[in-house]
Amino acid sequence: MSVDPITLAVVRGALEMTQREMTLTLEKTSRSSVFNLAHDYSNALFDHRPEMILQGQDIPIHLGSLIPAMKAVAGFFGDDIFDGDVIYHNDPAYAGSHIVDCCMYKPVFYRGELVFWTVCKGHLTDIGGPVPAGYNPDAKEIYAEGLRIPPVKLWDRGRRREDVINLLLTNMRARRNQEGDLNAQYGACRVGERNLLALLDKYGVETVRACIAELKDMADRQMRSLIRSVPDGVYVGRAVLEDSGHGLGELEIAATVTIKDDTCHVAVASPPQVPYFINSYAGNSMSGVYLGLMMFAQVPPPYNEGLYRCVTVDLGPKGTLCNAEEPAPHVNCTTTPMETLTDAVRSALEQAAPERVSASWGHTSGVNIAGRDPRTGEEYVTMVLASIISGAGATRELDGWHACGPLCCFGALYSGDIELLEYSYPILIHRYGLMSDSGGAGRLRGGSGTCWEVEPLGHAMTVVSFGEGRQRPTMGAAGAANALIAPKLGGIEVLRADGTERHTRNVMTTLAPGERLVNRSPGGGGYGPAFERPVEAVLRDVRDGLVSREAAALEYGVALSADGALDADATARLRAARKLA
Amino acid sequence: MRSQYRLGVDAGGTFTDFILAERDGRVRLFKALSTPEDGTLAIADGLAQISAALGRPVEEIVANCDLCINGTTVALNALIELKGVKVGLLATAGHEDSIEIRLGHKEEGYRYEPDYPPAPQLAPRFLRKPIRERVLADGSVHTPLAEDDVRAAAREFAEAGVEAVAISFLWAMRNPAHEARAAAIVREMLPEAFVCTGTDVFPQIREYTRTSTTLVNAYLSPVMARYVARIDDYFRKLGARRPVRYFQSNGGLATGGHMRARAVNAINSGPASAPAAGLFVAEPFGIRDVITVDMGGTSFDITLTRDGHTNLNRDIDFLRQRIGVPMIQVETLGAGGGSIAHINPYGMLEVGPHSAGSQPGPVAYGRGGTQPTVTDSNLALGYLNPAAVLGGRIRLDRDAACEAIRREIAAPLGVSVDKAAWGIHAIVNANMVNGIRRVSIERGYDPRDFALIGAGGAAGVHVVALAEEMGVRTVLVPKVASGLCAFGQVLSDVKHNYLASKPMRVGPDADLAGLEAAFAEIEAKGRAALREDDFGEDEIEIRRSLEMRYVGQIHECTVEIGATRIDASTLPDIVAAFHRRHEALYTYAEPQNPVEIVNLESVVVGKVARPQAPALVRGDGNAHRALAGSRPMLFGTDGVWTDTPVYAGDRLMAGDRLHGPAMIEEATTNILVRPGWTAELHASGCYRIDRD
Repeated sequence: MSVDPITLAVVRGALEMTQREMTLTLEKTSRSSVFNLAHDYSNALFDHRPEMILQGQDIPIHLGSLIPAMKAVAGFFGDDIFDGDVIYHNDPAYAGSHIVDCCMYKPVFYRGELVFWTVCKGHLTDIGGPVPAGYNPDAKEIYAEGLRIPPVKLWDRGRRREDVINLLLTNMRARRNQEGDLNAQYGACRVGERNLLALLDKYGVETVRACIAELKDMADRQMRSLIRSVPDGVYVGRAVLEDSGHGLGELEIAATVTIKDDTCHVAVASPPQVPYFINSYAGNSMSGVYLGLMMFAQVPPPYNEGLYRCVTVDLGPKGTLCNAEEPAPHVNCTTTPMETLTDAVRSALEQAAPERVSASWGHTSGVNIAGRDPRTGEEYVTMVLASIISGAGATRELDGWHACGPLCCFGALYSGDIELLEYSYPILIHRYGLMSDSGGAGRLRGGSGTCWEVEPLGHAMTVVSFGEGRQRPTMGAAGAANALIAPKLGGIEVLRADGTERHTRNVMTTLAPGERLVNRSPGGGGYGPAFERPVEAVLRDVRDGLVSREAAALEYGVALSADGALDADATARLRAARKLA
Repeated sequence: MRSQYRLGVDAGGTFTDFILAERDGRVRLFKALSTPEDGTLAIADGLAQISAALGRPVEEIVANCDLCINGTTVALNALIELKGVKVGLLATAGHEDSIEIRLGHKEEGYRYEPDYPPAPQLAPRFLRKPIRERVLADGSVHTPLAEDDVRAAAREFAEAGVEAVAISFLWAMRNPAHEARAAAIVREMLPEAFVCTGTDVFPQIREYTRTSTTLVNAYLSPVMARYVARIDDYFRKLGARRPVRYFQSNGGLATGGHMRARAVNAINSGPASAPAAGLFVAEPFGIRDVITVDMGGTSFDITLTRDGHTNLNRDIDFLRQRIGVPMIQVETLGAGGGSIAHINPYGMLEVGPHSAGSQPGPVAYGRGGTQPTVTDSNLALGYLNPAAVLGGRIRLDRDAACEAIRREIAAPLGVSVDKAAWGIHAIVNANMVNGIRRVSIERGYDPRDFALIGAGGAAGVHVVALAEEMGVRTVLVPKVASGLCAFGQVLSDVKHNYLASKPMRVGPDADLAGLEAAFAEIEAKGRAALREDDFGEDEIEIRRSLEMRYVGQIHECTVEIGATRIDASTLPDIVAAFHRRHEALYTYAEPQNPVEIVNLESVVVGKVARPQAPALVRGDGNAHRALAGSRPMLFGTDGVWTDTPVYAGDRLMAGDRLHGPAMIEEATTNILVRPGWTAELHASGCYRIDRD
């Protein structure tokens, strides 16, 4: 049936409202700081096919992986799906992202017919296994990481399966928090269902389906028209995964993007999978590819599966880093190597459409913490999202946002309020601030990364680090280059009673009371040659302590006199010398 | 109301509205052009109009007012235009960037938008000074205050010409000693500067929210202080008997002495008086649950009041600054008469958020507008009188409106002009319905339990359709709809929100006596402030609330507890109320799980006597005498034009009933009674429109 454009616009609004109300429910009721402070979750709606009809603007990590995961989960149960069922799942073998991201799927039946799925995916603070929070840098196999949950029904035709829920929760640390988060996900799925049923009551299944088909077609047309504007050709982007210190050396990921008319094919080439937690199974790798694509497309919401209809993806042979298979360990995959994969795709598209693509954002370099809270005697465990907030990349028009990354979250994350973190966990946060010279040099400067410095109070605290970005600065764009590398990198320092330990690889360690951990998240990439940056912009950055005087001269060719004023002659000389060179 | 008059002066962007309420219930509305450079000029203009209308000198009128009330956008405008004063911040060392990190987030709606700029920083980084000091979560001192850091910062502020200093330290609301000492040092060294602390402005947990609120307050208060001084002086010279009261974003009044140091409390005061007006309008019908919708040229403001209590926001981004102090929850959409209809990049029809405003305005105004607006569609649908002349000058051009709709909407979509015009109307209505969901369903309220009150010049032709969409059965539109907010201000009480933070788990060890003492302490402050403002004990009302959550949650539910004392006997009811609230909001409760109390608040109200409602003369119930004509109108996608009677509002009498479809034309608003609805004019001057 043809769709009335007015009904279409109204149905679109109702779908967005539904997704928004699901998100609100999750945010307001969840227990873990990863959900309620950091918003590391995504809510989506699928139709009966099941194709994604709407995803919120939450975490891009979940952007691609929900699409194959929903299909894998529905396929697993086949005909065995009934009104009142609720399915849970995290396993990457069924297109999950990493096992701490647990996803709930609720089929929505209307007059006996499956019409929608409401889907809610979020990062639990723990999933069992040998290391609190799930990030085990020593895991050689997925079995050494935590609990795998293949598709399983938690509610069966409306009956809550206490036995299964108990089985899952029994395997997780800080059980009450995990249980609270599971309830919050259930609340979100129910709120979504309630709204969708009202929508069907009002317009009927046929009209709503026709609207959804049209919304997907519109997204398809939009993406095709963008791709058609790019010259046909084959563009290759490469990005390097830094040496993790686990004997793997540097690893390169390449993305070959073929643009032909209004279609786009992305072929990924990556080395064989490794016995370290940076392997990415197919579902997660799709997110990496789609994020690179969105950095090019820059389309406004709404987002649905139609956007990707003209895009085909080949992740390379099974058993490679970006198309991992059992038993590859993988928990770090949503950041590393996903961000490197995104960089490869972004880089290929930068060549295809230089005017559209911005610099890259700082990669994830952060920590999880765990211990026993001396105030309550209860166990705690969490990822510290504040620790991974990096600088955003500069664009053609703007300096990069400070403290807005990492790349894989693209501004969707929240760091969480310092007082709420200190209230929730027995820690003292000495510093959470921007860092001088951390933003990539460029005509447009990359955003500053952040520094998070913490001390455990009255107990010994386990710290597990993850991610990368500690050896190579964030990729710039349009000819941006850095002269001062060290301040742009992420890194970890442990301040012991007897001296400072510096770490460039991922570690698990214990802090005693009085000891501190300093985590640095990298800045974003710059855009364009730094010596072309307007002098007054450099002076403002120096005044604000975002750029040091040394960097002003070295990276931007701007010299200051002893009293901090501009030395115009020396600046002219520096800039002229660069032009000759 | 003991004196003869009460005067309300509400300064808006274009017009300053004057409401003169008389003791006998008569309400008069006057308008003067706003004069942002000196608000007293517009006031002089308005007072001259009132003086001429009443035939009495201005001084005599002012002296016969029990209260002169002023709603001002001075603070709002300074924040929009970033024209506050030069401001410095003292922060706990290591946390001076918190205000710029903004929790590391980029706002929804701009995820992949490369050219969306970061939020403006009121205090640039070089004016945010790290101070070595540290208080822990339990209030104990970890690092004593380095007073030399404060002095060094104050010296730099002096050199930089800083006019206001915000001081916000971590956990200061648990132990304000460091903030207080730092403030004393700064005041001593910078005697001219305005100084405020986090504990003064917003003493609750959440450092970023508190610091941001404090900084915004410091940035705006000197601007507000200059304004207040001028207005206070102006009315004092005219012989006002009591100090002017200013309208705050919490829906209450405050003296200039309070406002000059708390500008942040007035940043969204404009639409915050709608609930008071809504309740007043609904009272003759015995209705206490109202949703007000105020539709003007560029925006659509929604508020919700349940059983006399209005939804509040406590931690929101307002103009991209985080604000913690309680404000009436006003959901503002870019959905006014001037909102522009367009086809988005996907090929979908959208309406707003961009607006043609008053300049160039809708196409129909013939002042250069080329993009079709909501007003143009209303004209095309027959809802507006094409013969009407706006403001004595603008004649509506229906042909131009239809042509713009054809060119910009109908042709690209391949539909008729009728259908496109209906589409614009339907979509703007759908946007408004979604906005109403945000104040109702998202806050756990079913909109069908409420009456919808239409306010603002443009709401009248939409409000019945909104009610129809949401299943609301009763709509109220007062004759003074276009000046409802100004009217609300003269109906408001003096009101202050006193906050405190006292986190504790609910259980046998809970320090209930301490909690009760915390309430008593803030309420004593509130009573003292009101007594100073001449309120007697019997005119003071106190309403308590607690912010509670399940242990481990981060966001709280507000549980209103009236005047309940906190002790072991009242606690179970409070906890039960929390579980109910949680279930209403989020579909489930967890009665088996532990609950904690985080924040407490007492709203301290100084009751101001209300003016009486007006009383219209009763007619014979037959609206026929007011019939002014008819014109064809379109009410749905069916494309069927219905010849619809048009009634002159000024000829209708109390008790007159008319059945939809019908249009009522009032001096400043049109009211569309859709098919299936019946309107009756009540003696209080309000139309009640019910579903048949």
